[in-house]
Amino acid sequence: MSVATITVPTVTHTPGNAGDLREKISIRDLDFYYGDHRALKSISVPLYQGKVTAFIGPSGCGKSTLLRILNRMYDLYPNQRAIGHVRLDNEDILSPSQDLNLLRAKVGMVFQKPTPFPMTIFENIAFGIRLYDRLPKTELEDRVKYALERAALWEEVKDKLGASGLSLSGGQQQRLCIARTVAVQPEVILFDEPCSALDPISTAKIEELIDELKEDYTIAIVTHNMQQAARVSDFTAFMYLGELAEFGETTRIFTTPNDRRTQDYITGRFG
Amino acid sequence: MTDHTMKAFDTDLQDLARMVAEMGGLAEKQVADSVDALAKRDTTLAQRVTAADANIDALQREIEERAVLTIARRQPMAVDLREVVGALRLANDLERIGDLAKNIAKRVVALNGEFPPPKLIRGVEHMTDLVLEQMKLVLDAYGRRDVSKAMMVWRGDEEIDAVCTSVFRELLTYMMEDPRNITFCIHLMFCAKNIERMGDHATNVAESVHYIIEGRPIADQRPKGDTTTIAALHTAVDR
Amino acid sequence: MNLSFSSLYAKRRRRNVVTMALAYAATGFGLTWLVVILGVLLWEGFSGLSLAVFTEMTPPPGSAGGLLNPIAGSLVMTTIAVLIGTPLGMLAGTYMAEYGRYDKLTTVARFINDILLSAPSIVVGLFIYEIMVAQMGHFSGWAGAVSLAVIVVPVVVRTTEDMLTLVPDTLREAAASIGLPRSLMIQKVAYRAARAGMVTGVLLAVARISGETAPLLFTALNNQFWSLNLNAPVSSLPVVIFQFALSPYKDWQRLAWTGALVITLAVLALSIVARLLAAQRKTS
Repeated sequence: MSVATITVPTVTHTPGNAGDLREKISIRDLDFYYGDHRALKSISVPLYQGKVTAFIGPSGCGKSTLLRILNRMYDLYPNQRAIGHVRLDNEDILSPSQDLNLLRAKVGMVFQKPTPFPMTIFENIAFGIRLYDRLPKTELEDRVKYALERAALWEEVKDKLGASGLSLSGGQQQRLCIARTVAVQPEVILFDEPCSALDPISTAKIEELIDELKEDYTIAIVTHNMQQAARVSDFTAFMYLGELAEFGETTRIFTTPNDRRTQDYITGRFG
Repeated sequence: MTDHTMKAFDTDLQDLARMVAEMGGLAEKQVADSVDALAKRDTTLAQRVTAADANIDALQREIEERAVLTIARRQPMAVDLREVVGALRLANDLERIGDLAKNIAKRVVALNGEFPPPKLIRGVEHMTDLVLEQMKLVLDAYGRRDVSKAMMVWRGDEEIDAVCTSVFRELLTYMMEDPRNITFCIHLMFCAKNIERMGDHATNVAESVHYIIEGRPIADQRPKGDTTTIAALHTAVDR
Repeated sequence: MNLSFSSLYAKRRRRNVVTMALAYAATGFGLTWLVVILGVLLWEGFSGLSLAVFTEMTPPPGSAGGLLNPIAGSLVMTTIAVLIGTPLGMLAGTYMAEYGRYDKLTTVARFINDILLSAPSIVVGLFIYEIMVAQMGHFSGWAGAVSLAVIVVPVVVRTTEDMLTLVPDTLREAAASIGLPRSLMIQKVAYRAARAGMVTGVLLAVARISGETAPLLFTALNNQFWSLNLNAPVSSLPVVIFQFALSPYKDWQRLAWTGALVITLAVLALSIVARLLAAQRKTS
């Protein structure tokens, strides 16, 4: 069994904020089991504040599984358990005393298939806000507007806030889901293959969005599109068969990867 | 290295490498022929060299086109990307070497009627042998992806520079002795400089090969022995 | 195309034609009987349909009258049955689809529910007779309503569970991902998404119990006179139809046909309303 190559990122390459890296989520020795099957093997990887970290790897390597641990989504299903250390700032996410709803408000998630709620566009966003804050009408409207602006959707829907969320196009629905996530003011946003069901133009808009969002949030994105990972992320983790094969700055991983498996995967020599 | 899942990708990269190797072979021949024409005062050969430069130029254009197409179609990453970029750089340097050889060939025609002493010509030929050896070594390094050979070439330019400096001194002496010698000495000076430039291009190729294999440029400063820009002047004045 | 291929293909085509013909024939056969039943109902019942049917009480044989008390009785007992049965059924279905989806209990409950769905209604009637009528000492409208409720519950449980299970898990995960607690997620997201289906389920249950006669025979019995006292026997359309149809009196028989038509039309109206509701939800 080969040991993961974690290259400590050489911060001297990043212009400006050298040495400015703070671990927002730290994952150490994480194992994950579906029943008796060990899907993740001793994963240790950092997610840095204000940066986009991409997880790439062939199908079944465990990247989506890893993402869904970060907001304890696996808790919805029986027979799935995580063992190890996952800390958000300094809280242990995996501890049984962790309030799941609060955790999920802090760590938001955008899924592969756009899933707007069966409500109006306005309600889709307001719904989440109302969970946490009791706001007067005007303030609520401002918050909804802010969330939609952040998701680059405001201009397109400002005249039809009362229309059903399901009446939007695929790309718009996905941005609505992003707005919904942003509305509850998370600290971390997880993207699970957010563009795989979308056309290239919507994809480009969402990639641009991720670029803007990373100023205020820590972002993790799982993608099977390597060019997307190269375009969008600051750090990349390559996973293979449940292990972390390599982690490092995106610019390095895609030009001079250390691990042979990483190179084979990104140059299309896999399979 | 395993093959790409898309076989056409492998074909693209192999074609690029093949074209570069072909270009290298042509350039070597041009260099050898141009100096041969100079030594034998063979204007026919010189004209052939001048005409043959078009082939090298055509190959360079083809390589560029193929490289750009490969980037557009395959979105190469990591080592593949470096291969394509490396091929572009090599094509550039080899094309310059070809131009320098053509330049020498043109001077053969210009030298018609002049009779430079064999000693001087031998100096130039010596330089050429060294350069041809460098070229052979570096093209071999590219073909086999051998970084140690590339580094040998990279360091080996010093000798060529030293010979160039000595040739320059000789030529200066001749020019000072008799003003009628100036014409052919100037031509020979240019030829020597061209050959010295060819050596530099060979080291550029070595750097590209290193980059392809290692993924980063050579960190150190290349040892330089070419003091013709400053030293020769002093020597002339000192005399 | 070689010879074997074409003969194989021809054989398949023949078989296809034959099967399709059989399918059409079966459909035609079934539809024909439906049309015949509806036609006979309309033929026999329509002549008796008048305002009097809805305003006058059941008459003694020989005089004119209407079906007011059975209609009223049916309405009241059906409504109460739905009011009792729907919350029970919905909550049980919600448990089975949401909280207890992976539980053993749910598997057992589903199995028992399926059995109850097709339980003979006369057995239900006898059961309620034993625990309510015998205990109370007399027949009553309450017993009738409860027996109908017992029939409503499995239907609502089934449709609620099915409709909630149809709601995609991705929607639930989306709700969870903004920190929505489970109960709120069920109320505001899952219910809303499954609303059309669940309402249809209730309407189906209503249609079912509108025509149930056997349980009422043992519980609410019948009442010739106008009475809304649920502590005593209450009239109902199915029982009245039973009584009048088997009688030798011509006007009673005619009223029975009319009653049958009234039930059929009422159930038809309910189904149309259910369809319209479902269609409306889809377009919004």
